[in-house]
Amino acid sequence: MKISPALAIAALASLAIPLFTPEGYVIQLLNIAILNAIVVLGLNYVTGWTGQINFGQAAFYGLGAYTTAIATKAGLPWIVTPFLSAVMVVLASLILGLPTLRLRTHYLAMTTIGFGEIVRLIIVHWEPVTGGTSGLRAIPGISVFGFGPQGQIQHFYLLMAALAIAVVVAARIRHSTLGRAMIATKDSEIGAEQSGVDTVRTKLFAFMIGAVYAGLAGCLYASSIRFISPDSFSGTQAVLLMTMLIVGGMGSIVGCIVGAVTLTILPEVLRFLGQWYLVLYGLGVIAVIVLAPGGLASVASVARLRWASPR
Amino acid sequence: MGQLVVNGLALGSIYALVALGLLMIFNTVQIVNFAQGQLLMLGAFIGISGAVTHELPIATAWAITMAAMALVGIVFMALVYFPLRGRPPFLVILTTIAMGIVLENLALIIWGPLPVSLPSPVRGAPLRFLGVVVSMHQLFTFATLAAILLLQYILLTKTRFGILMQATAQDLHTARLVGIPVSRTIAVAFAFGAMLSGIAGLLVAPIFLAEPTMGGSLGLKGFVVSVIGGFGNLPGAVIGGLFLGLIETFGARYISSNFRDAYAFIVMIGVRVAWPRGLFGENSSAKV
Repeated sequence: MKISPALAIAALASLAIPLFTPEGYVIQLLNIAILNAIVVLGLNYVTGWTGQINFGQAAFYGLGAYTTAIATKAGLPWIVTPFLSAVMVVLASLILGLPTLRLRTHYLAMTTIGFGEIVRLIIVHWEPVTGGTSGLRAIPGISVFGFGPQGQIQHFYLLMAALAIAVVVAARIRHSTLGRAMIATKDSEIGAEQSGVDTVRTKLFAFMIGAVYAGLAGCLYASSIRFISPDSFSGTQAVLLMTMLIVGGMGSIVGCIVGAVTLTILPEVLRFLGQWYLVLYGLGVIAVIVLAPGGLASVASVARLRWASPR
Repeated sequence: MGQLVVNGLALGSIYALVALGLLMIFNTVQIVNFAQGQLLMLGAFIGISGAVTHELPIATAWAITMAAMALVGIVFMALVYFPLRGRPPFLVILTTIAMGIVLENLALIIWGPLPVSLPSPVRGAPLRFLGVVVSMHQLFTFATLAAILLLQYILLTKTRFGILMQATAQDLHTARLVGIPVSRTIAVAFAFGAMLSGIAGLLVAPIFLAEPTMGGSLGLKGFVVSVIGGFGNLPGAVIGGLFLGLIETFGARYISSNFRDAYAFIVMIGVRVAWPRGLFGENSSAKV
C-alpha cells in the first residue's frame, strides 16, 4: 500500500481539527461525516469494485444502529453490540444477497430499494421496540469494562481510529485475491468466470463485507450520537450514500472519504439555499456522472498529471 | 368484497399506466427510468395549473398537459440519457434518480407542499350494481387504460415506428448503420413515455390529491409491476398492474394497512425468485 505524502499530511492535519474547534455542532457533524465515510467504504466493495448497484446500504446501517440501541437499552454490555450488529447484518445480507445477486442491474436496484423500504417500514411500525417515527433516545454510550470516550472530541478520535482500520482493511482486501476477483467481476462477468473466478460468490462476499462496514458504523452511530430515527436510514439516505460514492470517485478509497465528508458538510454550509439545495444537488450529481465519471478523486489525479507533465 | 375488487382494479390501472410508460422507454433503450413517478407528479401539477389555477376547461388542460409532457420527455432524454449512451446502465439509473430529486424539489418550490385536488374529466352519478359502487372516474380510468393499451399495441407491433424501436433496442450501432434515425426514435419513445406518465398523473390527482412527493412510491410501483409482468411485456404490464392493485387493496383490508407499500416488494421478490423473467416473459435483447 503506497501512501502519497500529500494524503499523509492531510490525514495528520485532520487529527488537529478539534484543537481549533470547540465541542458542539461542528465536531458532531464531522463525527457523522466519518461514520458516513465508513459506510461508503463498505458500499465501495459492492458498487465501486464489484460493479453491483446497491440501495440497501442505508438499511444495513440502520439494522446495525437499531440492533445496538435495542441491545444496550435492554441492559446488555456495550462490548457485545458490535458482534451482535455484525451478525445481524451478515444474516440480512445473506437473505437479500443469495436470491438476488444473480440479477441484472435494474432488478438488483429495485430489489435492494425494496429491501430498504421493508426494513424502514418495520422500524416505523414496530413501535414498542423501535420507537416508531420518533426514534430512540438516550442510548447508552460506548463503554468497555467501564472505560469509554467522554464528550464529542474523544468520540472524534475514536471514530477516526475506526475509519483508519476500515481504510487499512479495504486497502488490504483490494490487493488480495478476493479484491482482484471483484475488479474482474466488474469488468466482465463472463471473462471472470472464464478465468476461474466464482462471480456469484465474489459478489456475495463483497455484499457481506459492505454490510458489515455499514452494520459496525451503525453500531458506532447509535452509541456515539446516542439518538437514532428511521429518517437517518431511509431510501433517501441510500441514494445519498450512493451519491457520495460517485461524487467522491467509485473504486477509490480516498474518493469515498472525500465524497462522504463533502456531501455531509455541504448541505449544512448551503443551508441558506433552502429547497434549492436539493435541486442543485440533483443537477450536480448528473453533472459529475456526465462530466467526471471518476468523481472528485479522478479530477485531482488528472490535475496532478497535467501539472507534472511538461507544458 | 366486490367493492374491494373494483377499488383494487382502479388502483391497479394507474400502476399499469406507469408501467406502460416505463415500457415505452425500456423497449427502445433498455434503460429503466427511475424518475417515472416524478414525471407523473409533474403531469398532475401541470393539469392542476391549467384546470384549477387558470380555470381552463378540463379537456384543454388535458391537451396542454400531454403536449407539455411530451416536451418534458425530450428534454429529460437530452439531459439524463443522451450524454451517457454506451456507458454502464447503472449510471443512467443514477442520473434518472437525480433528475427525480430535481423535479420533486422544483415542484415543491413552484407549487408548495400542500396536497391539491384536480377535478375529474367526467361527471355523473356513480353506477350501483349488486351493492358495488363504481364511480364515473373509475370507469373513465379503465376506459383510458384500455384505449392506451390498444394504441400502444398497434404502435409497437403494426407500425413502422414499432420496428424502428425494436431495431434500436437490439443494436444501436447496427440500427444507425442501416439508416434508422436512432436519435429521433429514442426522442419519440421518451416523449411518449413521459406523456403516458402525465396521463397517469391526471388520473391519480382526482382520487388521491396531488402533492410534490407523490411520485416516489408510484414510480416504484410501476417498476414492481414491470418486474411482475416481465420488463417490456405489454400484456404483462397491464395484468401485473391490476394484480398489484388487487394485492394491495386486499392486503390493506385483511392483513395490515401499515405495510401497504411492503406487499408490492414482497410480491416482487417472490416473483423474481420463482419466475426470474417475470410471469409473462421479458422483452429483452440484451445478451446475458
